[in-house]
Formats: sequence, C-alpha cells, structure tokens
Amino acid sequence: MSSKQTNRSLQNKISLRLALALAVFTIGVFLILRSVITPAFQELELEAAHSDLIRAQQAIRTDIDNLVAITLDWGPWDDMYEYVAGRNPGFVRSNLDRSTLSNLGLDMLVIYELGGRLKWAQLQVDGEERAVEELGLLGSDNPAAQLLTQHADATSSTVGIVDTAYGPMMISSQPILRNDSSGPVAGALIMAQFLNETRLERLQERTEVDMTWMLVEEYVIDGERELADIPVGELPVRISDGLVTNCVVLADILGNPYLLVSSRTPRVISGLGQQTVGAAMLFLVAAGVLTVVMLWYFMKGTIIGPIEALTGHMDKIRKSGDLSDKLNLASTDEIGLLAARYDKLNSEVHETRAALLQQSFKAGKADTAAEVLHNIRNAMTPMINGLERVAKAFKVTDGLHVKQAVEELSNPDVDPEKAKKFVQYLDASFDRIVAVHAEASDDLRVVSSQAHQVEGIMADQEKFTNVAPVSENLVVDEVIEEAAQVIPKDASAGIDVEVAEELANYRVRAHRIGLLQVLSNLILNAYESIERAKHGDGRISLSARSTVIDDTEMVQLTVRDNGTGFEEEVRNKVFQRGFTSKGVGDTKGLGLHWCANAVAGMGGRIFADSEGEGHGAEFHVLLPAAQGG
Amino acid sequence: MATHQQDENIRVLIADDDEYILRAYREAFADSESTQEIRALDALAAELFEPTDSDDDEPHFDVVACSQGDDAIALAEQAANDGHPFDVIILDVRMPPGIDGVEAGCQIRKLDPDVEIVFVTGFSDVPLEELQRRVPPPMKLHYFNKPLSFSQLAQDVASMVREH
Repeated sequence: MSSKQTNRSLQNKISLRLALALAVFTIGVFLILRSVITPAFQELELEAAHSDLIRAQQAIRTDIDNLVAITLDWGPWDDMYEYVAGRNPGFVRSNLDRSTLSNLGLDMLVIYELGGRLKWAQLQVDGEERAVEELGLLGSDNPAAQLLTQHADATSSTVGIVDTAYGPMMISSQPILRNDSSGPVAGALIMAQFLNETRLERLQERTEVDMTWMLVEEYVIDGERELADIPVGELPVRISDGLVTNCVVLADILGNPYLLVSSRTPRVISGLGQQTVGAAMLFLVAAGVLTVVMLWYFMKGTIIGPIEALTGHMDKIRKSGDLSDKLNLASTDEIGLLAARYDKLNSEVHETRAALLQQSFKAGKADTAAEVLHNIRNAMTPMINGLERVAKAFKVTDGLHVKQAVEELSNPDVDPEKAKKFVQYLDASFDRIVAVHAEASDDLRVVSSQAHQVEGIMADQEKFTNVAPVSENLVVDEVIEEAAQVIPKDASAGIDVEVAEELANYRVRAHRIGLLQVLSNLILNAYESIERAKHGDGRISLSARSTVIDDTEMVQLTVRDNGTGFEEEVRNKVFQRGFTSKGVGDTKGLGLHWCANAVAGMGGRIFADSEGEGHGAEFHVLLPAAQGG
Repeated sequence: MATHQQDENIRVLIADDDEYILRAYREAFADSESTQEIRALDALAAELFEPTDSDDDEPHFDVVACSQGDDAIALAEQAANDGHPFDVIILDVRMPPGIDGVEAGCQIRKLDPDVEIVFVTGFSDVPLEELQRRVPPPMKLHYFNKPLSFSQLAQDVASMVREH
C-alpha cells in the first residue's frame, strides 16, 4: 500500500468518525428536543386550551350571576310585593313598559302570584314581542315550571339554564319579598336571557375565546352516543391537527345534562414549540457542522497536513537517496517534534553513512593494497633469487683459469701428463659453464613465470578498477568544505580560501569518496601552485554554476587559484598520464590523470584554463546534476 | 643455551605456501650437485695453478620444507621428539587455507623454547610488537619482508646459529 493511500485512509477514517459524531449528535439533539421540549409545549397548549374552556364557562356563569343580581335587586321590593298582592295596580304603568327589558338587558321578565298564577309577562325574541306561552317553559307539563313559578320561602331561588322553544335560556327566579327581604313570599319574579348567536358573539368578544355551544341532544345525535353516557362536567379533550377542543356539559335547572359548551383553541403553542424545536435543531446542527468542519480543518492543518509533508519528504528521500535534505517543518507541536527528530536522525544517518562509506573505502583500499603487496612481493621473491643466481651464473668464468690453461697447452715444452690435466681442467670448466647456463635458463623460466604472475595480479586489479562505485546525491558545499581540509593547517592562514555561498544550492550525482579525492587533488594542486608562485597573496576560490550539455543538466565546479598558471600549449596535456609541469603543479604527473579518469567514471569530465604562466589557473569539473533532489 | 658445532649442518625447517618460493629456498640453502663439481674443479685448479681461497667456511644446511603451518608444527614436534630439533624455523605469515605463520610460530615456541624463529612475509597485518608478545623471546625472533635474497638470508641464518 502506498503512503498516499495510507494518508487518504487516515483522512477517510477521520472524516467518517467526524460524520458519525455529527450524526449521533444530531439524532441525540433531536430526541432530547422531541422528548422534553415538544411535550412541554403540548402540556402548555393543553393548559391554555383548558383555560379557554374555563373562561367560556365562567363567562356564562358571570352572565347568570348578573341575571341573579338584577332579579335579587327587583324581587325584594315593596311596590312589586304590593302589586302582586293586588294592592298596587299602578305598578306596571310606573315601572314596567316596553323599554324595561332592553334597559335591563333581558329577553324575558315574568311575574307570578303566589300559587303559580301568571301576573305579568313580557318576552322578546329577536326584537319581537312574543307570548310567554310560546316558550313551552312555564306550562304545567314542564317539570321546571314549578321550580320557577313557586317559592316556598324567602331563601328559595331557582337559577340556571333552561330549555325553551326558542333555544337555551339563562334564567333566574327569585321570591317576591318586602324591601327588607322579609316575607311571606308574595310570588315569583323570573328574569331570563337567551343563549343565542348575539350573546355568543358578545361572549366570544369578551372572553376572546372561540367558544360555541350546542344542545346535548344534538351532540348525541351527531356523535351517535347515548344520552345516558354524557355526564355533566368536562368531557375528554379532543386534539386535531390545528385545534384543541375542550367541552363541558352544563346541566339545566333540573340537573339534567343539557348544554354542551365548547372552546376551540388553535394549536399555536405547539406550532410555536415545533418552530422552536426546528430552530434549535437547525442552530445546533449548524453549530455541530461548523464544529466538525473546523475540527476537520484543524486536524488537516495540524495532523494530516504535517503527516503528508513528512510522508512526501520520506518518499522524496527514498527516491533521491539524499539524506542531507531536511524537512524543516515549522511546527512546535508533537508532530513538529517528530519531524525535527526525523530530520536529526536523517542527518545523523547521513553523516554516519558518509563516514562509513569513507571508512569502508579506506579499509577496502587498505585490504586491497595489502593483498596486492603480499602477492606481488611473493611473486618477486623467486624472481629476485632467480635473477641473483643468473647474475652469479654469468660470473662463473671469473673463477676459472681457462685462458691460463690454454696458454699452458700452447707451450710446446709442457709436460704431457700435466698437459693431460690441463685438458681435463678445460673439459671440466666447459661442463661447469654449460651446467651453470642450464641452471640460469631454468631460473629465467621461473623469473618469466613470476613476471606473468605479477601481470596477472595487475590484471585482477584492473578488473576491480572497472567496477563502478555507487553514486549518490551530494550537496556540493559539504564535499568541498571537506576537500579543502587538504590544505596544510600551517599554510592555510596565508592563503585565502573563498567558498561561494551558492554552493549549498547545488547537488550532484557522484561517488562521494571519488569526488572528495578529485576536489582534494585539485585544491592541493592549487595550493602547491600558489606556493611555487611565492607572491605571498595566495587565493583559492571555489564556485559552481548550472549548465546544460547535450540536454543533460550538469553542475560545473570550479577551483580557481592565483598560482603559477600555464601556457596555452600545455592546456591539453595537463591530464595526460605522466605529464608534469612546474607551472601546473602536479609534480608526479599522476594526480590530474587519475582525476580525469575518476570524473569520467562518474559520468562527467574535467578541463583546465589559464591565461598563461603567472596568471593562475582554473580547473573545472562537470558532473551530472542530482535528480529528484 | 644450545651451542652449534661448526662441522654440523644447520637444521632448517621452512614453511611457505608458494612452491616457487620453496624452490628458491631449497636452491639457496641446499648443497647442490653443481657445487660438488665446482669443488672438484677447484681441486684440479689448485693442483695446476696458484692456490686460491678455500670455501670451507661456507655453511651447510639440512633443509626440510612444508607448505602449511600445521605441517610445520608437526615436523617441529617430531624433530624435537627424535632428539634432533631444528636450529632455525622459517615461517611465512600468510599460508591459506590453514593457520597462519604467527599461530604456528606461537605453538612451535611452546614446543621448543630455543629454536630461532624467522618470519618472512610479503605483508603482515600483525605488528612486530604483537609478534614479539606472542612468540617470545625477542632475541630468538626475526622478521624479514619479501622480496629478499635467500642466499643473504642463508648467511643471516648461519649467523643466528653461530651467535647462539
């Protein structure tokens, strides 16, 4: 799995959890509002609706109470008392006329004598005067008539609602007494008001309650209920989509369920509750979404972003292999600390790797040198001893007396016996010379064989030199600073070494140790050239620039000195094997040749410039620019 | 301290893994047939011509050669057990695939405290101080770098034996 996918996975996990938290939060808020706020509003609404019913009921009772008050005002009155007793015939003329009902706000006023005989009556229905008998109320067949028309004593009273042919009516019947409310009872005074549309409108206006009423009989018929099932008092509340309907059954003066008074309350409060819940939900969800979004961006900025940067940096280093590249994350939190430690660790690994590389290179070189030395010295030992014997063989005649023996034999006076021994001596001498030469020939074969062995050792070494060293991305200034250490400490004070700041911006693809040795060689050459110039103002400048050669991005490193320099004709020879020039500074003629080969092995090239002897020199090293770094 | 009689041959054990080097050792240390012929020739010359200097002082060696450190230890042990220990043992330092010359010299020193041990090597990873520590005493330890003249070495070996 790639790191990018991992990051996406982390983002997805965080997003999913945040979304889940938001969903849980929203559902929780909704349930709390539904279970607490909405029922509270509904309760409030039911209380308000019940209050409307109470007010409607109370308004009817207040009207009845007013009716009772008027009746009680008129009933204990000597003039009426006398009239009912037949002793005040002018009473009607003086006190009762057509305007009396309207003045008192009554629809009916009836006066009964003791014993239930009608004395005086007036009834108005919708502004028209009607006969009391049309009501069907006070007839002997109506059980309510006796309650209304006859009172046993001064405390007797009949108040309530009665059924008439013209609809329900509020009624109050009081005994007719003396002014001081003393008896005996002379008759009954009845005052009444219709519960008609006009009164309903007044009551609605006064109570501001949408109230209405209907006869229980009609309610029973409409609702298909039994009359016996309808009790006096409040009925269960009815709740529809837009209304709360409360009902109360009022009894007539006989105590029977008669009038159903209803109040209809619009469901404003629950609507308001729903709006409140909706607004609260909207606000809380918006706040939740805002919080989640802010949290997400915060996590993106402080966690996911830095982790992506860290991962990207790791990928970059993995591709480039350049451990010196730092992330430098500008953060001081835990991830910033992690990035800083990662940078530090990389830096340490980078330094360790460089040291290890250098150490292993040196160790490898030492091992190789030891092995080569051992093998070559071993091969040279038989060669030297063989050649020693060959040299000795060629001197074999030095110890012989061949010439003297020949001279003795050429003497005619020589003793024949002695001459014979001289001949033996000459034979033996020649045998000795032949034998020594044969041994010398064997020794030379050994020498030749060992020479071939040395050649084989060198051929093996040549194979190793063809093994390309591992290239890596290198920051130029680090290598150059290390290479500049080649200048002797006691001499560096007299030589000004300028290292251009922009070197830190260049990275090359090269073998670290190889490049280090090339630059060390060039800087050492520059130093030696300055030493030879002896002008006392030595200066070595190290710089770099980018260039493109054959569509390849290259970095050109330049080592410039103000030493002896060299002439134009030398320029193309300075890198030749064995070439040495006092002006160029390579005293052995090997260093620059090796540098040229090493740079070529790193995919680059090297060249030199000088304006002539005494004008210093420039050595340029072209190397491929680092990729991905 | 052992002494060596002038008329006795010097007993030398040589261990080196290179056959050409062993051959060069043998030729430098051993009395060859040609040397006897030269003596006969010299005798005839002495009879016919003016007398010349004699080579009687030239040392003579009994040389035993091997190519591995283990063999050298075994031969040294055998010689010591037979009552004819070697006077000088010449060891190459590197003798793959067996033990190196330093280890062989270390074990031989335990077998024969008097023998002169000579290390001859093309290159040694072991510093001289360590050699002296592992193969004491220093006066019986000698060290030569290849390449070298074995005839000169033979003279040096003879000197070692005579001095002790």
